[in-house]
Amino acid sequence: MNASVQQQIFQIIAEHGKIEASTITPDSTLTDLGIASLEAIEIIFDIEEHFDITLPDNNPDFDTGSTQGLIDAVQDAIALKAAAETEAEAERRSS
Amino acid sequence: MNQPAGSTRGPGPAERRVVITGRGAVSALGTGQRALWQAMVEGRSGIRPLHMEQPAQPLRMKVAAQALHFDASVYFVSRILTMLDRVSQMALVAAREAVAESGVDFSGDTALRTCTVIGTGVGGEMSRDEQTRRVYQDQAPRVHPLSIVRLMPNAPASQISMEMGLMGPAFGVTSACASSNHAIAQAVAMLRSGLADVAIAGGTESCFSLPAIRAWEAMRVVADDTCRPFCRQRTGMVLGEGAGIFVLETLQHAQARGATILAEIAGVGMSADAGDIVSPTGDGAARAMQAALDDAGLRADEVGYINAHGTATPANDPVESQAIRQVFQHHADRLAVSSTKGVHGHALGAAGALELVAAIGALREEVIPPTCNFIDADPACDLDYVPNTARQQRVDAVLSNSFAFGGLNAVLALRRFAH
Repeated sequence: MNASVQQQIFQIIAEHGKIEASTITPDSTLTDLGIASLEAIEIIFDIEEHFDITLPDNNPDFDTGSTQGLIDAVQDAIALKAAAETEAEAERRSS
Repeated sequence: MNQPAGSTRGPGPAERRVVITGRGAVSALGTGQRALWQAMVEGRSGIRPLHMEQPAQPLRMKVAAQALHFDASVYFVSRILTMLDRVSQMALVAAREAVAESGVDFSGDTALRTCTVIGTGVGGEMSRDEQTRRVYQDQAPRVHPLSIVRLMPNAPASQISMEMGLMGPAFGVTSACASSNHAIAQAVAMLRSGLADVAIAGGTESCFSLPAIRAWEAMRVVADDTCRPFCRQRTGMVLGEGAGIFVLETLQHAQARGATILAEIAGVGMSADAGDIVSPTGDGAARAMQAALDDAGLRADEVGYINAHGTATPANDPVESQAIRQVFQHHADRLAVSSTKGVHGHALGAAGALELVAAIGALREEVIPPTCNFIDADPACDLDYVPNTARQQRVDAVLSNSFAFGGLNAVLALRRFAH
């Protein structure tokens, strides 16, 4: 699961940055990868659409933080979403 | 008076100096420029929880500076109201206030010699949104027949010219968050060149539609708590709405009718970053400030106060601070610099016009309005931002900065009027 989320995120970044996904590591920052801030918000948008999640506004700092921060934020958002769905399902069953 | 006088470049002869004789505003602080100025001086914020029908998915934008008090039905009969988007309603109400203060009479030739230049970033967004909803959501076969005339970005200028019978040059100006200052600069140029003797100029914006809010959220520049310009805890801008409209005249015209002169617009400066569509370069801002000083014939050390663009985004505030330092050198440490956006929010195309109320007030009342919501200093922003409390201080010249997405910069230089 973790590797897969990471790969999907790297793939999205690679498509935007016109770079090889294999050159991206969890330590890379978007700035290191030559990605400007306007592209960064497009990448965030694509990631949100891809995973159907909402990432928080200011944490992590996507401009200067590492892609690991981004991966963690995505995993947190996926977990939150899964928990919300489980809860909704349980409510449906109990009613 | 109908004969153009003076050159078309730079400050013309004395009689074509440009002065402000009336001001009007609608903002989150209420209707009237006085309500806005009072709040600016008190550092009292008009930012409140966002008032909005909640969509199925929660909004990230939590706060805004909306003019919730503004009820257009008080000001317009229904026959007129049906033509008007909120962006034009606010502009008209502010224009009435400005004209009333100036006492200018548009009878006779004056109407022919009056231009109308109104800035807006997006125009009639609420009307566009309402009709789009009908088309896509309701699958309606038709939309309101006045949709086009409500939403066109020249509507505010057209509506003011129609209501007041102003028959000189009239048009809208658009440069996102710098629209007001570009509109005022354009009016100044027309007055100096002899194309008009009087100008109604300013800016207006109202775009609290769900798609616009979602678009701002997606840019990740919106604060979730409040607008805190230049301070370390700032997290972004807070969207506002409103209109600011002014009566400008040539000095000769104002003096001939015995008008009270509020301030002189001594210079304007405009530039383009020609860089990034969103990230400011600083160099473009510096060039616009320098151009305004040069146009006004002001030395940097004559300026006492700058009403900054100060959006409270992580990017703008340090870049603007450095640009000020670049232009003003050692005098930067003696300047009072404040952003009033913590009071009225970022009203986009109306921003520069609302902030001109602050610039005029500082000159006339000898009070520097503070930067409100300020907590701790940010090492990257190292000027005197007049945090939270107004300062009694006489200043003789003031700059008002507006910098837009797209790298478009427009700066006004005001001077205390003296013969």
